[in-house]
Amino acid sequence: MTEQAQGAAALNAVIADAASGIALALRGEGDPYALTRTLPQEDALSPAAVRVLGADALAPYALDGGRGADGAGSADAAMVRQALTAFPPGDDPAAVSTWSYRGLVEATRALLPAHAAQLPPAPDPADDWLDTEPWPRLSHRVSQLASLALPGLAGALTDRLSGRTEDLARGFVRAVRRRDWQQAAGLGRWLARLPQTPPSLGLDSGLRFVQQMSGDPRAAVHLTAARTFFGRGR
Amino acid sequence: MTTTAPAPAPPALLHGVGDRALAWLDANRDHFRLTEADRARGDALMERLKPIGELAINMRMLSREGVAGGRQRERATSLLDFAWRELLDGGNVLAKLQQDEPFSPVPLEIYAVFHELGHRHPGLEAALRAPRATRAWQALEMVPNRRLGVLNAERRMGLEPSGDFAETLATTVLGRQPEPWAVQLHIAYDITHTVFHLTNWGEQPEGIPEELARYLELYLPAWAADWAELEHWDLLGELFIVDACLPRAALDGALWERYAAAQSPTGAMPVCGPMPEGDPSDVFDLVHHPTLVSAFASAMATSRALSGGGA
Repeated sequence: MTEQAQGAAALNAVIADAASGIALALRGEGDPYALTRTLPQEDALSPAAVRVLGADALAPYALDGGRGADGAGSADAAMVRQALTAFPPGDDPAAVSTWSYRGLVEATRALLPAHAAQLPPAPDPADDWLDTEPWPRLSHRVSQLASLALPGLAGALTDRLSGRTEDLARGFVRAVRRRDWQQAAGLGRWLARLPQTPPSLGLDSGLRFVQQMSGDPRAAVHLTAARTFFGRGR
Repeated sequence: MTTTAPAPAPPALLHGVGDRALAWLDANRDHFRLTEADRARGDALMERLKPIGELAINMRMLSREGVAGGRQRERATSLLDFAWRELLDGGNVLAKLQQDEPFSPVPLEIYAVFHELGHRHPGLEAALRAPRATRAWQALEMVPNRRLGVLNAERRMGLEPSGDFAETLATTVLGRQPEPWAVQLHIAYDITHTVFHLTNWGEQPEGIPEELARYLELYLPAWAADWAELEHWDLLGELFIVDACLPRAALDGALWERYAAAQSPTGAMPVCGPMPEGDPSDVFDLVHHPTLVSAFASAMATSRALSGGGA
């Protein structure tokens, strides 16, 4: 394995661990949530993992009654700030990375408002592709933004996506057929949030099916979020 | 519908696929012939009749007014005459099979196509009467979409159908609107065949109830994209036929280009992946179905494109 591949594998392992912890917290199990308990502060890979997880790094704070551990907010916000500083958005305003950066900033403001003072500004990602991309590419990109499908977050994006609900339903069908569980879970999470998802899609049994077939922790976060926040796939 | 519908395929692309397929079918017509050994064995005969039935159904569709061009229609009509006179011996082969297996629906299913074209075999029609009047005939166990096919064959011959069309449709997998992500290969074929019978092989697209047409318009693009990626040309061709029957046909240009590129220079269409190689009669057995389907799909889609049917 090259050095680069080893690095990627190590980061993926850290992300997978964190995702398992987040999914557990979203199910209301385990100890009260703290990002800094899920990802070791001293681990050099933690900021990158937070940046990849995006808003999901703080998703358990969005649960009713908040599942945050006492006094964790300040350290968690600091870890987020560190991630945002270390990995700024790239030059492409339409890139997934720009969107997820924005999602992480928005999530911190919404979910840890007492600690959001020193956050960098949220970038304004390009959004014209939401209207112009044909359904297969749209679905692929939207699935990568699944961490933004949190209550109170990305309202404008959600409104825009609701105009493409049927296209995302097609994407879900194709993703399940292709056994691309991460894409299927990500799209399923959005479809759980969107108000006009066609009943013929069978979203609830679809989410349960993806849950059964996929062993992927990040897919598990999406599926748990769909269940916990939007009541789908129970 | 969104504004991001795929660009429809140009009619010349659609037409070319069928033109080449028909040339291949014409050049390979002798492979449809039954051998003496086929005729001697009832069970094998049933199997060997299947391609002939498929040839007839597809060619009848092409012989219809306004679907194919003049040269294509001529070719289709000539293949149909060949099928009736030479392959089926003017219907005698079907009558013999009916004699051997009075409660098989196969002779009726094949005969109905030729009956619509004006061919007659009074002996076969007479021999069908008593079996069709039995409870056994109505109770024959078969998958629901096949049952629709039998009912459709009876309807086409002006006979009283041996069951209720709507009730049967409701028991098909399409009639029950399965979760679209669960539609795997055999379910997809069940769906395409149900549409063939509902529309009398594309002749009456309005035969698809509105709710099912809506369901198909919504999810067929996802299925077509998936099977194109898996290079399953046989199923993709059948999905193209269904697409051409829908109120807002997509006639997806990019998918049709991939489909056309899969066709061999001789006009044959492989089932899946690249063209098989080997003994010509073995190759024929493998590719005659997808090639017939491609001729059918091409004619349906061309006709839709020319009548401004694309979405």
